[in-house]
Amino acid sequence: MISLKTNFFGLELDNPLIVASSSLTANVDKIREFSDNGAGAIVLKSVFEEEIVNEYNQVAQTKTSAHFEEFIDYFDYKIRDQVLASYGKLIRSAKGVSKVPVVASINCVSSGDWLQFAAQVQDAGADAIELNLFVMPCDPLTTAEDSRRFYLNAVREVAGRVKIPVTVKISSYFSDLASVCNALAGEKLAGITLFNRFANPDIDIEKEKLIEAQPFSGDKEYLLPLRWVGILSPRLGCPIAAATGIYSAEQVIKMILAGATAVQMASVFYKNGPSYLAQMLREIEQWMEKKDYDSIEEFRGNLSLTEAASPAIYARAQYLSSFGGYAGSEHK
Amino acid sequence: MTEYTEMLNRERNAEWRVALRNSVPNKERIAIERVKMTEVEPHERIKSQTCEVNRGLKAEQAQREASRCMDCVTPTCVEGCPVSINIPKFVKQIEAGKFLDAAVTLKEFSALPAVCGRVCPQEKQCELKCFYQQKMQKEPVAIGYLERFAADYERLSGKIQIPKVEARNGIKVAAIGSGPSSLSFAGDMIKFGYEVTVFEALHEIGGVLKYGIPEFRLPNSVVDVELENLKEMGVTFEKNFVVGRTASFDDLKELGYKAFFVGSGAGLPNFMNIPGENLNGVMSSNEYLTRVNLMYANQSDSDTPVMLGKRVAVIGGGNTAMDAVRTSKRLGAERSIIIYRRSLEEMPARLEEIKHAQEEGIEFMNLANPVEYLADAGGRVAKVRLQRMKLGEPDASGRRRPVAIEGDIVEIEVDLVIVAIGVSPNPLIPASLAGLKMSRYGTIEVNEETMQSSIPEIFAGGDIVRGGATVILAMGDGRRAAASMHRYLQEKYKKPTGK
Repeated sequence: MISLKTNFFGLELDNPLIVASSSLTANVDKIREFSDNGAGAIVLKSVFEEEIVNEYNQVAQTKTSAHFEEFIDYFDYKIRDQVLASYGKLIRSAKGVSKVPVVASINCVSSGDWLQFAAQVQDAGADAIELNLFVMPCDPLTTAEDSRRFYLNAVREVAGRVKIPVTVKISSYFSDLASVCNALAGEKLAGITLFNRFANPDIDIEKEKLIEAQPFSGDKEYLLPLRWVGILSPRLGCPIAAATGIYSAEQVIKMILAGATAVQMASVFYKNGPSYLAQMLREIEQWMEKKDYDSIEEFRGNLSLTEAASPAIYARAQYLSSFGGYAGSEHK
Repeated sequence: MTEYTEMLNRERNAEWRVALRNSVPNKERIAIERVKMTEVEPHERIKSQTCEVNRGLKAEQAQREASRCMDCVTPTCVEGCPVSINIPKFVKQIEAGKFLDAAVTLKEFSALPAVCGRVCPQEKQCELKCFYQQKMQKEPVAIGYLERFAADYERLSGKIQIPKVEARNGIKVAAIGSGPSSLSFAGDMIKFGYEVTVFEALHEIGGVLKYGIPEFRLPNSVVDVELENLKEMGVTFEKNFVVGRTASFDDLKELGYKAFFVGSGAGLPNFMNIPGENLNGVMSSNEYLTRVNLMYANQSDSDTPVMLGKRVAVIGGGNTAMDAVRTSKRLGAERSIIIYRRSLEEMPARLEEIKHAQEEGIEFMNLANPVEYLADAGGRVAKVRLQRMKLGEPDASGRRRPVAIEGDIVEIEVDLVIVAIGVSPNPLIPASLAGLKMSRYGTIEVNEETMQSSIPEIFAGGDIVRGGATVILAMGDGRRAAASMHRYLQEKYKKPTGK
């Protein structure tokens, strides 16, 4: 009997397919569909501190605010309370329709509010918390040390101070990624997800205008998390999940072979709908059957940095044999 | 040119104004230093909750200060006033020694000039726009002091002019709440000839003017005179009457009330929702100030005494925070500390209140924000954990945003914490009215011009509409609501012409 059971978010999951935080997971009907189609867990759309800041800025421009600074001075707390109350409602609704764990996702861009956010989502009934640490390091005055301190403080504020498990989801924008992950793993975390994905800018050359790029990941983007899952999974003391660019059962299997205990996906469900989950699960089972694996743990990490026959590929920065004799098909 | 600026011009060209303007060269006017308000010494005033700090101007001081005003062709000070008071006119009337006329001019625009002269943030409104400030980088004309002077002069002269009211038209209207918006609404509606009743939930009339602002800043006697005037004009006041509980809107309609003005304010305190905020010894500024100002809970024979702290922290940087922290000093605190997450420059409190607080020995712990309160063995607050902040880029309010300094946390010992970070509308009235359109912040949505809500016979203004407002803004709302309710009722109940 094949079992897809695995562990992430400090929870035993029926399978490693996690529906990642996105606008799909802000919709209770969709959450029910994901659950019915066999998701291992569902991460709700993030509650963004940035939304609070934006709303505050709108209120700050009203007539009353202009005449009465005292009114606007701490209004961000009021907005925050409302945003959190509304998020608490989403958590309770999601819990009402989902048979699988529901994970709250918190995105804060400054420290100080983390614990408050975490305590409220815990009270609303979330099974775990994902801290969506989503800071674009574009300030030239912010050093790597500053970033590291921000990440570690955020985790310390929450992990160990709430009763439910806490994981983090981070980007790849670190000069010392392995070292940061190692430090995070030492902070009572129930998992690290590699990587979250920033909205990208693009340029319309006809209008000569900066625009937002299409939001979905590409199906080759999985190669970046694949590398880092392979490198870090055997070295860190906490489970690793892969995210970004995962579109197929084949890519899920690759991530598990590299050492992931779970994968998070969103773009694929925008394109193929929640029912695609069931298809992916069937395909994973078929592969396991063909390979004679009964459980995820039997093959998880078999191709990680410490287990693979040629681990140097993980750490290689330069193209060697691949491009050695390659001139490009159009230019031969 | 608008009708209003035409009026300002016409008034400016009145014979007496021209003569007064020409009587003193501008050079001489500019050379005069701004008047200094006489104040009670800090060590004296902190002994009493009812000792008003500012003593007001003498007549000669007021006239001299008024003579600084250059009676500008374009009076930019008026642009800074939320209710567009004809400032040059009343200032020049003071210069001319026509003090009672100055009070009359003020009353054309403001129902409570003695109050506004004491509590309005003039340095951010009319005085900010004064020619001296804008063009000469000199101290502006002390418009607020002069406003107070004119209103006090009239009050103390015994010659208060009770405005003329129209004959009663038999139509009953109600104001809910007795704060500044309701009082100005009531004043105008009684003048129009309506039967006006003001319903107040508490046992004192005056709303935030009584429960919120301590007597060392706004003596009750000043408010009481205004209330007496309204009574003289025929306004009826019902105390201890909670609309929505004591009687519903339908009950009041059955009693003949045809329209309502909701000015029930913002009596629901906001909190930060941080750990430990429910500990004993942590309370809102609303509770603290109401219990001291209105219920005298600081007195030893009080049935429900308020906690008196020795190390008092007040969270916030507005006027309410200043009122609370200065009250705590007067009630015997050894340390009274303002904890504010921005710097002194960004504080919304009036500059004068900050200055007075500093003189009284209030400590200012700026760029610090509470993240947690810790209890002693008995469950009472004993410490506050503070996140140190720095200032980031300006936000949409134009003030620099407070940003946490990662990992920089300090603890200080406290035994009383007063949270003064703002208020929200009381939900009772909205909950009593099915179909009333509300904003997501619990405020009543109204047409900004008419102050009429989604229920035609319900008008609203002040904090219940704005979430928070200065006294002058709230009064402006009350007056606009009165004008439009008058139009609404006249249209609805107009008598046939008899043809």
